[in-house]
Amino acid sequence: MKIPTNQLIDQLLQATEKSSAAVRAFSQLDSRTLNFRMHPDSWSMLECIEHLNLYGDFYLPEMEKQLLKAKRTEMVHDFKPGLIGNYFANLMKVNNGKMKKMQSPKDKNPSNSKLSITSIDRFLKQQELLKSLLMEGRNCDLMKIKTGISLTKLIRLQLGDTFRFFVYHIERHVYQAEQVLQSYKREYQTVVSPVLSETNE
Amino acid sequence: MPAAELFMERLLGSLHSKAVPKVLNKGEFLLRAGEIERNLYYIESGAVRAFYLSEFEEQTIRLGYEGSIINSLASFLKGTPSEFYLEPIRKTKLLVISKESFFEVVEESEESRQQYSRLLELLITQLIEREIDLLTTSPIERLNRVLLRSPHLFRHIPLKYIASYLRMKPETLSRIRKS
Repeated sequence: MKIPTNQLIDQLLQATEKSSAAVRAFSQLDSRTLNFRMHPDSWSMLECIEHLNLYGDFYLPEMEKQLLKAKRTEMVHDFKPGLIGNYFANLMKVNNGKMKKMQSPKDKNPSNSKLSITSIDRFLKQQELLKSLLMEGRNCDLMKIKTGISLTKLIRLQLGDTFRFFVYHIERHVYQAEQVLQSYKREYQTVVSPVLSETNE
Repeated sequence: MPAAELFMERLLGSLHSKAVPKVLNKGEFLLRAGEIERNLYYIESGAVRAFYLSEFEEQTIRLGYEGSIINSLASFLKGTPSEFYLEPIRKTKLLVISKESFFEVVEESEESRQQYSRLLELLITQLIEREIDLLTTSPIERLNRVLLRSPHLFRHIPLKYIASYLRMKPETLSRIRKS
């Protein structure tokens, strides 16, 4: 796979805007909905978002640091994913509503921490920062710039792969939050509908 | 008594007729960023923090406890969306006084207007003090400056919020306090 840098950045910016729009809509929901969980050990919508914030706390400063150090290039090369970077990025992807289940690292698990609506506001601020980093990346060699990853110090990824991994990871958990919302609605309806049908009769 | 304090007396005196009591718990925001501040809050009991939310943290910028008045000032004065959140630190009893009622007190008399001006001058000098806080490099010096202004701060506010106000880690603050 080889893709012009501009095209990659455009795709990622679009995906980022889509995730932002979805989460912006969440901020209209009440705290009962936002804190609802399907199972005692699964995440609420706020926990999905806070999980993304915890990733952002690591990756956004790291990507910004490497971008600030890097030279700006007049001639922008095509981007070609690295072997490992490509693997991680694709692992995150949601394909037709299906995604590979995985365990989050402990330090990125917000389960049962006290969360408020500020998680959503903070996420939206992080998204704005992400957008400006992506735009900055247009004039950089996304293969030459390397960033560290949160799992291990042994591997460094090409910035282009880190961008992809990061954006797909956001899509993944925004999708997860939307699923939680759907199941909340279903749950709520099963409680309400018998009463409704009685009154209809 | 200085003019600014006289004005506060006047304001507090009018609280009973003009203010609306309210009780809020932690997590129930008085105001969220983006909303417009239309009130002043007098804290009868409990404590409130004002914080700025960045991409990475909640930065406490003001703390209020029993007997103090707090709000999101720039939004209140200019009618623009607030940059700050206001949240009770624990269960807090407030008297809410609307902007209209507040300025009724201000406009009561020429004397009251002058006292209000003194109060604004006092606020400006306090904000400059706060600016110097933030420019002070030494954490120890930052703590000392704040304790000089509010000697009883630790009696009313949990350490982690004071640490955030002083721009240091809670661990750092508790270490400095012990020494």
